[in-house]
Amino acid sequence: MSEASQENDSPGYSLMALAGIGILAALVAIFLYVPTEKTEGVVQRIMYFHVPSAWIAFFAFFIVFLCSILYLWKKEREWDIYAHASAEIGIVFCSLVLITGPLWAKPIWGRWWVWDSRLTLTLVLWLIYVAYLMLRAQSEAGSIRAKYAAVIGIVGFLDIPLIHFSVLWWRGFHPQPKFITTEGLGAGNDPSMNVTLLIALGAFTLLYFLLMSLRVRLERMKDEIDRIKKERLYSH
Amino acid sequence: MDNLKYLFAVNVFVWGGIFVYVFSLVRRNHSLKKDLDLLKETLKKDSGHE
Repeated sequence: MSEASQENDSPGYSLMALAGIGILAALVAIFLYVPTEKTEGVVQRIMYFHVPSAWIAFFAFFIVFLCSILYLWKKEREWDIYAHASAEIGIVFCSLVLITGPLWAKPIWGRWWVWDSRLTLTLVLWLIYVAYLMLRAQSEAGSIRAKYAAVIGIVGFLDIPLIHFSVLWWRGFHPQPKFITTEGLGAGNDPSMNVTLLIALGAFTLLYFLLMSLRVRLERMKDEIDRIKKERLYSH
Repeated sequence: MDNLKYLFAVNVFVWGGIFVYVFSLVRRNHSLKKDLDLLKETLKKDSGHE
């Protein structure tokens, strides 16, 4: 049996179980453990979905950035696979950020969307990586496609520091970071809020690795199918 | 308590979105595995004829 199909037959059950436990713990912490915030009320709990989604989107695009550099350097297909898989997961979570943000903004700001620097730059980030996936979908597989995609993957990532610092550099609607502050991690927050946020961040990170393992496996299977088809073509 | 609908909507989108994505991965995985098995079977038959 080939390597790819062997992998396909052995899904990461331990990772699946860990992610499941993590998500369950996060839900318990969000809905049963952490107290309701005084000013925003129950809607503040959206933060425990919005912030981890943003963290995973940024982390996924960082992996795209890193693997794209490694691909351009080493020219190994493996790095292109990781970059592609991570970009797709990044888009899923960036979409969740762009959905949960307005759902949090409406009851607090009274508007679904404002053209604030952080919101606009996040939308730009989403568009860049949608373009990345469209380029991959529309062009023929090969090293040229991988090269162009790697360039977009690297350039697109430069938007993330801008998103992070936008709330510090320009005055806007979006609140400043409350967890990563100059006084330290979670300084000034209720400890239960910090614990809940950390559990949610951990659960989403496990989910990212689970999705990555599934997505990478898909790409390897596609490669094996292509390899067999090519072998058949040349043998006839 | 009126704002509960926003929290509910967030949960629907987050878990619904993740579920749809996982479902699409599993479906693509099954379809590719079927293609791969079919190809291997064809290869086996071809080598048997030669």
